[in-house]
Amino acid sequence: MNWGEPILLGAKVFGLLGLAVYIVFAGVVLVQVARMTDTLEVGFETAIKLMAWLHFAMAIGTFVVAFVIL
Amino acid sequence: MNEKEEEEVKVIPTDEVPRGAARHKMHGHSHSPMAAFAYYPDRVKFVAADKEEKIVLLLRKHPITNLKWILTAAVMILAPSLVSFMSPFLSLPENFQLILMMGWYLIVLAYIIEQFLDWYFNVNLVTDERIFDVDFVNLIYREITDANIDQIQDVTVQMGGVLGTTFDYGNVVIQTAAEIPQIEFTSVPKPDAVAQILRELRVEEEREKLEGRVR
Repeated sequence: MNWGEPILLGAKVFGLLGLAVYIVFAGVVLVQVARMTDTLEVGFETAIKLMAWLHFAMAIGTFVVAFVIL
Repeated sequence: MNEKEEEEVKVIPTDEVPRGAARHKMHGHSHSPMAAFAYYPDRVKFVAADKEEKIVLLLRKHPITNLKWILTAAVMILAPSLVSFMSPFLSLPENFQLILMMGWYLIVLAYIIEQFLDWYFNVNLVTDERIFDVDFVNLIYREITDANIDQIQDVTVQMGGVLGTTFDYGNVVIQTAAEIPQIEFTSVPKPDAVAQILRELRVEEEREKLEGRVR
């Protein structure tokens, strides 16, 4: 299949927009985790917060990689 | 409650709970933060509980209820290896293929995190004074329902299905005289033991009332 330039450009813009929205979602997950760990502390909060921050960092990382290589 | 369960969890009045090493030997007591049934848990802090309130029981859905989303996540993880053989994907430029893969695995990670958080933080708590049902309905909406122990009118245990019977979990439906007439502990482990603990706490609360020790 031959992908034309305009289609790839459209896909690039669409992909970057999608990843930007995803970064916002990852930020909301951070807020959610903060609210949850404020509500209940059982002793596993550090790992959960770390997981949420890792997810946020990966979202930003993917956006940066996409911006550079697409 | 059958004999086996009575052996597993012995209901101990809140003012007779042992301290130190003896406490750690109690049946149902757990140090795991992932425990779905934790009797007199050690390190639990709950925002809606008063300082003097003792947390008697922390309940989550039985771990086996996570099986569905774990299998879904496994399929999602393996899916790209199947899709990547398909011609439309292969005909994409390599940089697009890479970003598509990265985006997909981000979505998989988000799915796993959300499902785990949903299981981990949607808990039921029983203190020596109240019962709580904590629900995080969506990403940022929290609902905490509570009722006093002495407002409990009826406790019903619902168990059924192959998994429920095999792994000993079910629903505990609590009718109350509080503003919210019904609180349900869904798919919790050892529902008979939970019902008995609630019964004992009600008796204890009645005794405290008679002795004039009500907080």
